Amino acid sequence: MAISKNLTAASTKPIILGILKQGNSYGYLIIKKIKELSGGKMKYSDGMLYPVLHRLEKEGLIISNWVMEDDSVRPRKYYEITELGKQELLQEQAQWFQVNSVLDAIWNVKPTNS
Amino acid sequence: MFDIDKAISNWLKSLRKHRAFDDGEIREMELHIRDHIEDLMSEGLSKKEAFDKAISEFGEVSEMAQEEFTTQRRKPTIKSFLFSTMLNNYTKTSYRRLLKHPVSSLINILGIAIAIGICVLVYSFGFWVENIDQHHENKDNVYLTTAFINRSGKMQQWGISPRPIGEMMKEDFQQIQNVCRIQENNVVIKLDDKVFQESISFVDPSYLQIFTFPLSDGYPSSLNDKSSIILSTDMAKKYFGENNPIGQDLLVTFNSNEKKAFKVTGVAKKFPSTHAIGFDFLINYGNLDIALPNYNPDDWTQSIGATLIQVKDQEQLAAIDQGMEKYKQLQNAAMEDWKVDSFKFEQLATLYQRSPDINKTISSRYYNTNKMAHNILTILAIFMLALASVNYINISIATAAKRLKEIALRKTIGANRIMVVFQHLTENILTTVLALILGMAFGKFILVPWFEYQNGYSSGFYILDINLWLYLGGVMLVTALISGLYPSLYISSFQAVNIFRGKVKFGKGNLVTKGLLGFQLILSSILIVCAIMFTENGTYLRERSWGYNPSSVLYAQVDNWSSYDKFRNNMQQYANVQLVSGGSDHIGVHKSLKVLRQQEKEFEVSSIMIDPNYLELMGLQIVRGRDFAKSLTADKYSLIVNEKFIEQLSIKNPIDEVFEIDSAKYTIVGVVKDFHYSTFSNEIEPMIFMLADEENYRSIVLKVAQGTEMESLGNLKKEWASLFPEVPFRGGLQEDVWGGYFASLKWHGEFWRMIAYVTVFMAALGLFGLISLNVSGRVKEFSIKKVLGARILHLGKNIVNDYMWLFTLSIILGAPISYYLVGFFFDMVYPYHIPSNFGSVIISGTILIVVLWAVVSILLVRVAKSNPVIGLKEE
Repeated sequence: MAISKNLTAASTKPIILGILKQGNSYGYLIIKKIKELSGGKMKYSDGMLYPVLHRLEKEGLIISNWVMEDDSVRPRKYYEITELGKQELLQEQAQWFQVNSVLDAIWNVKPTNS
Repeated sequence: MFDIDKAISNWLKSLRKHRAFDDGEIREMELHIRDHIEDLMSEGLSKKEAFDKAISEFGEVSEMAQEEFTTQRRKPTIKSFLFSTMLNNYTKTSYRRLLKHPVSSLINILGIAIAIGICVLVYSFGFWVENIDQHHENKDNVYLTTAFINRSGKMQQWGISPRPIGEMMKEDFQQIQNVCRIQENNVVIKLDDKVFQESISFVDPSYLQIFTFPLSDGYPSSLNDKSSIILSTDMAKKYFGENNPIGQDLLVTFNSNEKKAFKVTGVAKKFPSTHAIGFDFLINYGNLDIALPNYNPDDWTQSIGATLIQVKDQEQLAAIDQGMEKYKQLQNAAMEDWKVDSFKFEQLATLYQRSPDINKTISSRYYNTNKMAHNILTILAIFMLALASVNYINISIATAAKRLKEIALRKTIGANRIMVVFQHLTENILTTVLALILGMAFGKFILVPWFEYQNGYSSGFYILDINLWLYLGGVMLVTALISGLYPSLYISSFQAVNIFRGKVKFGKGNLVTKGLLGFQLILSSILIVCAIMFTENGTYLRERSWGYNPSSVLYAQVDNWSSYDKFRNNMQQYANVQLVSGGSDHIGVHKSLKVLRQQEKEFEVSSIMIDPNYLELMGLQIVRGRDFAKSLTADKYSLIVNEKFIEQLSIKNPIDEVFEIDSAKYTIVGVVKDFHYSTFSNEIEPMIFMLADEENYRSIVLKVAQGTEMESLGNLKKEWASLFPEVPFRGGLQEDVWGGYFASLKWHGEFWRMIAYVTVFMAALGLFGLISLNVSGRVKEFSIKKVLGARILHLGKNIVNDYMWLFTLSIILGAPISYYLVGFFFDMVYPYHIPSNFGSVIISGTILIVVLWAVVSILLVRVAKSNPVIGLKEE
């Protein structure tokens, strides 16, 4: 079952920040990674990633750099998470945990007979 | 074969179209696609399949572009909101509108530009008037000594002061830092073979400390030397041209016995254009004892031109004021009929403003006249701004019909009323800014130079003056608000829904538009009447009788009886000379003041002292009694007075009335018809004629045969040169005495005609704008009428009918208003003028109707040329 569009959109930010926290990466690789991790369940149009990346950069959560790798024929625009980005990611994590725990709590409670 | 590079570059083109991404971002996405395709191909897909898949997974470009746009606008500030969205958008649409409607834009811009040009003129003139004599550094601490004299019950303030007062004050008051006495006398100055009549100033050396007149050459202290002379720039140029005058000698002839050589030791820098006080030549005050025979510095019966004092600060003046009583007593003991009531010190800073009320001051007496001219110009500028604003309002409202849909659309996509108003005002401000630039240029380079040239002054205002810009900025803002607010409120008030449904109809029935047009017409009519009256007035006054006959009369000034006598004898040899007369005064050139006593009453009257031929020669008409007997002595104690004299003293039977003058009794023997001593800008005053004593002869007057005036003037000058080679000739044709006056009348006419042209032009522009919009809104109607065979004249009547009643009403209302207003204005400006007449009012009405028809005809040509088929096809 595919994850809904809204939820995908909402989770894009923590996912990107999370991926970048594991190491610098560029657009194509990031989207590839998301697809792998979600097992194809998060339906992205690849292009939608870029406006998000640009926005995050404008907000100062990540920075970008054109890099020419030795083993490649093409330059790549690498993104790197900033300190601010890392803090933001912590907050995002906290928020997602909270949402998660609320949902958990609600779904695990047995209906009371009144 | 599938060309992958071409496919990619095509795709990139579609990406670029959205303008959301910059080159780096596009390159980033291109690399993404290429990476993706490479991966897919390595999985075994063909080039085409790989490309298609990569593109489809990349997704809708337009969606991304939208997303990217929202990214770009993430941080809204008030500034970015205003500038990046609203103003940008508004100026852009405003600019486009200006270009799209060149005619109405031009009308608006031209109208406001003309008004702003006049505002620039007002500013420059005011700048000049207010800055006169303000360049003196000590202006706040320097005072002119003036005296109040009680003359026949009236207090008069005089700028001249008793001769000894300066010296005494300097000794009596330690508060006084500097005293400067000034006496101006007429002298003859000679350099090589050049001889000129000049006015020279005898001054104390403190003159150049009290006044700020820096020297370009020489030293101010050289004034301490009694044989030094300091020149103004103009005089240095007149005598020495480009040569250096320093060290050169000038021979000054004070009177027939006294001459003295002076060495030029200084040349003043050019006086600022805003000066009323000035000089031609300065020499040490001590030279007065050479210039005046039997000079006695302690003589309280004598006065000098001016006595100025300089104090350390203004508060010390009170102490000096209190100590003035002593001088009052000295003066009043010495002069029986020149009793001083009190002394008053006039500050140099305000002397120019106060001078109209002071007799004989060193400043000029034109402040009030200039102030009035300034006020009139201000009113004119306001009139013009009003006219231009009315044009703007009317055209805006009329064009609104064409842009209703635009407004409705703006409202539908979320603009509120304020925003529509704002947009409209932006347009207005853009128009005014353009007009400001144009008007500035018009004022600075055309109007102001023309006005200054005609009036012979130079305001010296400069374009970078901060006050000018503040003033113009204010003018602009007010204009933009007044002219823009109503239309924008009006236009923004419509409901979008009603506009789209076609329910909103307007244009014809707008009362405000009509009212404003009427107001404009009345204003135009007032200004046209003004122009006509001023023009007619010039001719009227030119033909007005002087009360005497100035034609074929020549005059010259002489030094004394002996030169008069020699000159007369020489001139009488010419056959063309019909009559010769002379005396100490002459109409239009010189008169004296006499105090007449009768019982206890005293009257101060102007007198003209002449010989018995004078009245006959000048063509003055005796209305009662008789002329002087043709003998130099028989009527020594007779008076001839004018009608005004009898009227003012309310004498019923003037003949044989006796008056006492200087303790001698005089009897009135005749009355002459009133005449103008001065120009028609001065009221006729009471005058008396008396016979002159031989020792007082100062002028000669000749009546020559008609048609020989120029020839006789040549002879006059020739004889003069042979008799008195050392003295310049001063004289000319009597008719030329007031030449400058008629030139100024002519200029008045010219100025007001110019104003009227501009007004008519502006009214025509406004009308043109309104009617052309009216016509273009009725294309279909006219087309149908044309198809049905209506003649073009009929269509013209059709248009005119819409405006005719408004014109009629405006003219009916405007006629009496202009009649009385202009009459009132003329009474204020001219003591004698052409009476208000309805002729000019009728002419002005006619002009306005002609303008209406002219405007309509221009538009009719357009209608006539248009093809009705096209007109009917129009949406």
